[in-house]
Parts: sequence; C-alpha cells; structure tokens
Amino acid sequence: MTKQCEIQFSQLYKTFGNRIILQNAELQLYKGVCLQLTGSNGAGKSTLLRILAGLEKPDQAVVSCAGKLMQWRHARKILQQRIMYLHQQPYMFDGSVSFNLGYAISAMKKQQRQQKIQQALEWAELGNLAEAHASTLSGGEKQRVALARAWLHQPSCMLLDEPTANLDTASRYKTLQLLHTLKQQGISLIVASHDDTHFSDLFDQTLQLHAGKLEQLKTLTVINSDKVIPITRVSA
Amino acid sequence: MESLSHATGEAFRLLLSGDAQLWAIIAISFKVSMTAMLIATPPAILTAFILAYARFPGRQFLISFFSTLLSVPAVVVGLTLYIILSRQGPLGDLRLLFTQTAMVVGQIALCFPILVAMAHSSLQQSDRRAWETARTLGASHSKAFFTMLREVRFGLLAAILAGFGRIIAEVGASMMLGGNILDYTRNIPTAIALETSKGEFAQGIALGIVLLAMSFILNASLFKLQHKRRRYA
Repeated sequence: MTKQCEIQFSQLYKTFGNRIILQNAELQLYKGVCLQLTGSNGAGKSTLLRILAGLEKPDQAVVSCAGKLMQWRHARKILQQRIMYLHQQPYMFDGSVSFNLGYAISAMKKQQRQQKIQQALEWAELGNLAEAHASTLSGGEKQRVALARAWLHQPSCMLLDEPTANLDTASRYKTLQLLHTLKQQGISLIVASHDDTHFSDLFDQTLQLHAGKLEQLKTLTVINSDKVIPITRVSA
Repeated sequence: MESLSHATGEAFRLLLSGDAQLWAIIAISFKVSMTAMLIATPPAILTAFILAYARFPGRQFLISFFSTLLSVPAVVVGLTLYIILSRQGPLGDLRLLFTQTAMVVGQIALCFPILVAMAHSSLQQSDRRAWETARTLGASHSKAFFTMLREVRFGLLAAILAGFGRIIAEVGASMMLGGNILDYTRNIPTAIALETSKGEFAQGIALGIVLLAMSFILNASLFKLQHKRRRYA
C-alpha cells in the first residue's frame, strides 16, 4: 500500500563554495504526481534530488511532512524512509538479479519474499534474468531492476536522475512503461530529464532549475478529475 | 649441502610423524595470532569505515597516523609494550609479561594499523552509490554498513590475510612479550629463531614449511575468490 506523500520543502538553500545551487526554493509533493525537472548541465538537478531524498544536507531547509514542520535532522530520516532516489546509473549490489530485488524486502519471510521477487521479475519483464549476475546486465536491464526494486520497496515518492539517458529505444520504452505503472499506483515521481518527447504523457508539470531557482515551465493540467492541485510553488 | 638436505628430510619427518613439541608450537602460534585477529578485526573495520565515510576534524591526521604505524618495526612495538607491562611499568601489576595475553596484545598492536589502512583503502574506493542505494531502499545504518562490508569483502579479506600474515610470522614482539617459554609462549617464529641459533635446523625448517604452506593456502584461496568475482565484472 503506497503511503500518502505530502511533503513540502521550503527555504531550500545549497551552495558549493561560491556556486549557488539552490536559493530559497520551494517544492510540494503530492501523491501520484509526476514532475519533470530540467536545467542545464551542472545546474544542480542531481543535488536537488539528493537533498529531497535526504542523501545530501542542504545549507538551509524547512521540511514539512503531513503538515508537521521539522528540522533537517529529523526530516532526513523520514525522507530516507519515504523517498527513493535512483541514480542515473543504478547501483547493483554484488549478486544476482533476485538478490538485488530481495534486498528491498529483506525483512519479509523467505517464502513471501520469493513470491514478491517473482512478481517483480514478471512486472519488469526480467523473468529470464532472475539468476543472472547483476553486473552482467545492460544499462536498460539495470534500470528495470532498479525500478522493480523500487516497486517492491513501495516508496511514497521516487526521484529519478536521467533514467533514460544512454538507453536504446526498446529499453527507453520499457522504462517509460514501468514509470507509468508506478505513477498509476500513486507513487509521486520527480524525473530529471531533458527528454520531452518520450516523457510527455508522464509529466504533470515541468520545473526548470536555473541560477539556483526553480521556475515553472509548464502548468499542471490534470491531476484529479475534479480539481487541479498546485504541486509546486516556485520561489521568486 | 648434505646437512641441509638431511635437515629438510628430518623436518618432513617431524611434520609427518606428528611430533608433539612441534605441533604444540604450531598450535600456540595459531591460537595467539587468531585470538589477536578476532579481537582486532571488528574495531579496525569500524575505524576504517568511519575514516572512509565520516567527515570530522582530525580525520586526515588519523589516516596519516595509521599509515605511519604500518612502518613501525615489530621490535619497537614489543619494546614499548614491554616497558608498559614490565613490573615497573604502568600496567606491571597485571603481571601479563611473558604470557600469551601479552603476546596477543602485542600482535593486536601490530595488525590493527594494517587492518585499518587496508580496509580504509578498500572502503574509500568503494562506490558510494552502494551506501545511498542501501539507505534509499530502507536499510538501517547498521544494515547499510554490513552491505558495504559485503560489497568490499575481497578487499577486507585481503586486509585480514595481510594482518594475519604479519603477526603469525613476526618475531620481535613475541620474543620480548612472550619470552619464548616452551609449551606456553613459544610460537613458530620464536622457535625458528631459537632452533637456528642452536644450529638445530630441522625443527626450524619444519616450522618454516608450515608458515609457507599456510601463506600459500590463504593467498590461493583469496586469489580463487577474486578470480570467481572477476568473471562477473
């Protein structure tokens, strides 16, 4: 069961030396909403995603989870529990595909875990690679294993850093299919990508990270059938 | 030449006949060195992990400190601990000098820097995405820590072998802290030193063969494991 994801970030600041990455950025996440994050190379998209996932400490941030304001120290734990970050090139643990999938649900009993792994393999069309060593997979297969791992882990929100970069057409198509499924399951997605063509159906809104600020490029059109929910407020 | 071949033949005879005194020396060696490794390895790996992943003031100094300790001669470690454990020393009341415990302490002091330096090197070179992926998949800090150790297990195994190799073969600290007492603190290297000084080469050669065989087996095992992994990489 996917948890409701209502996390609000405000007063986000991050600098590396004299270089400003984030300057008073504000961002709200809602369940099942997909955001595209664009920006030139080096603009800080990955840093922003890593901050949102609680993997990188911002210089300043106010995080609110389900309306409760909290300092970074406390928020970090919750972010790491609820938000999942997928690297541009997903990391595969040393072991088989099944081992990698099982890692996400290692607390489960063995029999139940095996069933879940089997479901995930079918979900990601990886059935024939269950026992293959993860390091032998292609980029597209690794991406699918990473998504299947996420599917098993069921985070509230997933942050993907250029998930289709360097993938061939078939792999890109499969990855997109899986992302659509995750979105339909109510998982919020933020995807750092320049690929407007292939992702056009997926994104509800596009944000651009420019000079430390988040700018709204495309307005949200459809989230719920009856109302439009603002998913981002962009700082001035 | 004749005496050497005779001594070598006698060495094999001692080994194969199950000479009680010889095997007692081997047993003491392994008992002391393995105890030292068991005690030193967990804190050394934890120290290496902290040095590789945490950022705190004095981190660079500690890394340099452990690297420096790598080159400290065993006899200097032995001398330092001898002074500390001797009757007039600060820990003299513990009466540890010339005991196996003192040898264990000396060997811990010798292998700890090797374990820290080599484990740190492995962890430092590891892919940081492993830690982040583990955490983002809901792993606790301790689970992510053990995941990282698993990811660099061959590097850690090499560190453990190097540490064990150093202490099982070192003579200086064992001689000073153990006193080379037969059936109690006489281990392989101190026995070799003693027997050689007496001109009794057979037992020295037999013990040397044991050390060489052990070294070969350990390194061959590590090579096989690494080779198995490389097939997938």
